[in-house]
Amino acid sequence: MRINVKALLLFSVFVVATCGLIYELVAGTLASYLLGDSVTQFSTIIGVYLFSMGIGSYLSKFFNRNLIAWFIQIEVLVAVVGGLSSTILFLLFNHVASFRIVLYMLVSLTGILVGLEIPLIMRILEDRFEFKDLVSKVFTFDYIGALLASVVFPLLLVPYLGLLRTSYFFGLMNAGVALWLCFFFSKEISWTRYLKTTCIAAIALLVAGFILSDRITSFTESMAYADKIVYSVQSPYQRVVLTKNEREMRLFLNGNLQFSSADEYRYHEALVHPGLNAVPNPKRVLVLGGGDGLAVREILRYPSVEKITLVDLDPEVTKIFKSHASLVALNKEALLSEKVEIINADAFQWLRSNRQQYDFVVIDFPDPSNYSIGKLYSNVFYRLLDSALTPNGKVVIQATSPFVAPKSYWCVVNTLESCGFTTLPYHAHVPSFGDWGFVLAQRNPNWQFNTRYPKDLKFLDAATFTQMTVFPKDMPIVKTEVNKLNNQVLVHYFEEEWAQFVN
Amino acid sequence: MPEQTGRRDFLRKSMAALSGLAVTGGTIAACTGKAKPQVQGKLLGPSFKAGHLLRKGINVVPTETEEQEVVIVGGGASGLAAARWLKKHSDKNILLLELENETGGNSAAGKNEQTAYPWGAHYLPLPNNSFTELLDFLQETNVITGYDAKGLPIYNEYYLCFDPEERLYINNYWQEGLVPRWGVPENDLQQIERFQQLTEELKQAKGIDGKYAFDIPVDHSSADAQYRDLDQLTMLEWLQQHELTSEYLHWYVDYACRDDFGSALAHTSAWAGIHYFASRKAEASNSEPHRILTWPEGNNWLVQRLRESCTDRIRTNAMVYRVGEQDGKVAVDYMDLRTQKYKRILAEQCIMATPQFVNQRLLSALPELLSTRNLQSFEYVPWLVANLTLKDVPHGKGLSLCWDNVIYGSKSLGYVYANHQQVALFPEKKTITFYHALADEAPAAARGKAYGSSYEDWKAVVLQELEKAHPGIQEQVEQLDVWVWGHGMIYPKPGFIWSEDRQQAGAPYQNKLYFAHTDLSGISVFEEAFYRGITAARQLLNTERA
Repeated sequence: MRINVKALLLFSVFVVATCGLIYELVAGTLASYLLGDSVTQFSTIIGVYLFSMGIGSYLSKFFNRNLIAWFIQIEVLVAVVGGLSSTILFLLFNHVASFRIVLYMLVSLTGILVGLEIPLIMRILEDRFEFKDLVSKVFTFDYIGALLASVVFPLLLVPYLGLLRTSYFFGLMNAGVALWLCFFFSKEISWTRYLKTTCIAAIALLVAGFILSDRITSFTESMAYADKIVYSVQSPYQRVVLTKNEREMRLFLNGNLQFSSADEYRYHEALVHPGLNAVPNPKRVLVLGGGDGLAVREILRYPSVEKITLVDLDPEVTKIFKSHASLVALNKEALLSEKVEIINADAFQWLRSNRQQYDFVVIDFPDPSNYSIGKLYSNVFYRLLDSALTPNGKVVIQATSPFVAPKSYWCVVNTLESCGFTTLPYHAHVPSFGDWGFVLAQRNPNWQFNTRYPKDLKFLDAATFTQMTVFPKDMPIVKTEVNKLNNQVLVHYFEEEWAQFVN
Repeated sequence: MPEQTGRRDFLRKSMAALSGLAVTGGTIAACTGKAKPQVQGKLLGPSFKAGHLLRKGINVVPTETEEQEVVIVGGGASGLAAARWLKKHSDKNILLLELENETGGNSAAGKNEQTAYPWGAHYLPLPNNSFTELLDFLQETNVITGYDAKGLPIYNEYYLCFDPEERLYINNYWQEGLVPRWGVPENDLQQIERFQQLTEELKQAKGIDGKYAFDIPVDHSSADAQYRDLDQLTMLEWLQQHELTSEYLHWYVDYACRDDFGSALAHTSAWAGIHYFASRKAEASNSEPHRILTWPEGNNWLVQRLRESCTDRIRTNAMVYRVGEQDGKVAVDYMDLRTQKYKRILAEQCIMATPQFVNQRLLSALPELLSTRNLQSFEYVPWLVANLTLKDVPHGKGLSLCWDNVIYGSKSLGYVYANHQQVALFPEKKTITFYHALADEAPAAARGKAYGSSYEDWKAVVLQELEKAHPGIQEQVEQLDVWVWGHGMIYPKPGFIWSEDRQQAGAPYQNKLYFAHTDLSGISVFEEAFYRGITAARQLLNTERA
């Protein structure tokens, strides 16, 4: 009997130690996953955690009676807080302004509770061992537990269970030990019934969480990214997320891929050069959308351009593309150029009040997936655009995929034509996106292209562009209605076509 | 999206729970403590004080007298339309007297930092092309930008209601359009379709006099008894006669009656009820026929355009309290509410662009006029309009926010999204206008109750209705103002529209007094106000020629 008590208590030391380190690792991993910069995250998490354990150890001296009951109580609390921590962090990530406060609060709470446990258990065991044995045994199990945790966490837990299930699993271990202790010491401790009830409630909660963790995961977009998040911010308009792996960087707005650094040059060369290269001696260029500065980078290849006006709604986007080192390298400091004026405004409203005329306009709006953005593809908008062009001016519009969404693509073409523009539809293969469509438009019914392109383009030349204007047999021209503010047919087409593609 | 709010709520609670647990929870607790917003707002309405004064009666005979050629009493849409017409088609010197601080009547509007919004009438259905006077006005104001080769009007696309126009919250889902469809049983759908066929036939139907059975203006409709007799029935009786019993259909037609007339299905003239569905026959070059014109400020945009023709000839805060005769002229007595001074205007002619319940008092000095009219039979439905400024309108399952958003089963009319006609993509805050006709009691009783209700009472009504479709919307509300229209709209009770009473009340008096108000049409819509205004103005001008 006596031996059993000792063994059981030492086993709980082992479990407590393992669980404690697991929670620490979960928090560190989550923080670097969500916030990026893993060195900083791990350092600060470990620091805060250890410091909080110190606070816990200090507080342990205020517990004088009912030590076993208190130990069980704390064990249950650790189980609940530790088990739920990763879920809470995931869920809160997109919804609280100061995510870090919640993160460190949870870490220190867990640390304090775990810090309480070892001193308490040592005091429970103090009559049962000689002091030197006590210290030796407790710390041995403590460190073995830590070793086990640090080995299984990266090798087994993260790959097979995932972060949420891992937390729930170890929460269950904590709660399980607590319940076992309850039964074992039921004669010696007070408030047995209360402790048993809380243990069982905690176990029920954690089991539910464990089972539901898949659904919780699908709740949190953060898990949607395959790569490491290196930057993320919630602007008033959208969630901006930048991810990175060995090969490429990707930018997501509200979870939609905007570009991959591996092949964005194809997209941006195709977007800018056919049109701009055909404008003799362009001076003023307008970019609507495109706050990433990648289209601007291409425009800056033309020395005759004196001024580029960039109108993008979201200051957060233009800010990171002016300041984040790898993004500034990607757009070759385009947004820092003296020729560029950045205006953070609603494009429609801005265009309504604009009186300036431009030689070339690049329109790089998000796809028309909702009624707000659909307005930016309407005939009313294109008529405004018409008055912003110089007599020989041209405009190019990104117009979604003519392969996946032919009605949407040709609807943009037809809407432009209905406003008196002559259009030239073309498309390019961008591996990250698939077959992507663009529309060039001008007032003059005749097209004249310049076959000499800027020298150091990686993708585009005259021969390639000629191919791009050919639509193969499986991508024929489609008849559509004109997109108007009062019918928004484009949004309907787009939803219909992409829904089919996704299913 | 109920799940979403559920999730937010869960998060908020878990945050609160956490902050309670944690040692460092103080900061978070401070944040969540702020999360409970205080709804701000006030109770507004047409000048209560003036109404009270009028009811009490004023006996002062003004000593200060001036002369004018034509006086128009009342600056609502009909008064302004009359003024515009006289300005355009004569060189008459006119003066318009308006009780309130602003002209516009039921087309009042307000404004916040983000948008203008309506306090009353908020849209104009595409008008029938036969109503050329109205089309001319719309062309003058660039609402119609021209005509195509077929002669169809081309409408300004900034003013055509943007898509998506309407949605209905039914069976926990926002469906497109207001005709119930989502989760509606087959039998009901069939009845709805039969109803639509019937009203479509009546839309094209003509009487033996060659006129449309249902037209706008109302007075252009056929005199054929087979149609006019429908005025004797209630809309409910008419549906029952056609064995249209579907609950879904009844809700929809009830909604339509409330929307246009402020009265319930069982208390509305069948002629009026059908008129809602069968009178509009517009054709446009660049829009489907059944669409509408609207502005963030609603029809206030239209009355402002009407007003532009006579801005310098308007006196506001002028409370007319008596219209009588003196030396063969019309004596219009009014009190200047700003200076509290009484004045008399002697006018050659006068247009009363005031509702008949007001005329009843104003014209008490002309007993021979009142004795030939039964103005008592004019009844008016009280309305509640609320404007709410929200951080956001909670999403729901189905179609996203539309211009018009209606909740199935509700007795309110849902809400209109004021920012809808702005081109901006992401308004910082959203303003919605909530409409509720107090149609469930007799008008006078409902009005009595309405005047006795406080701001808090109304706020509860509004939020309770909105919560049905938007659980948790309260937390989004920053401002909630309420406007009560005691006499919101003329009530087309059975038998009223084709009654002698209505005809007589519009008859001119001794080539001096003319009458222009939508209540004379029996239906309170902009087209009728416009028509009543120009009709009175034409009568006035023709008399002179004769």
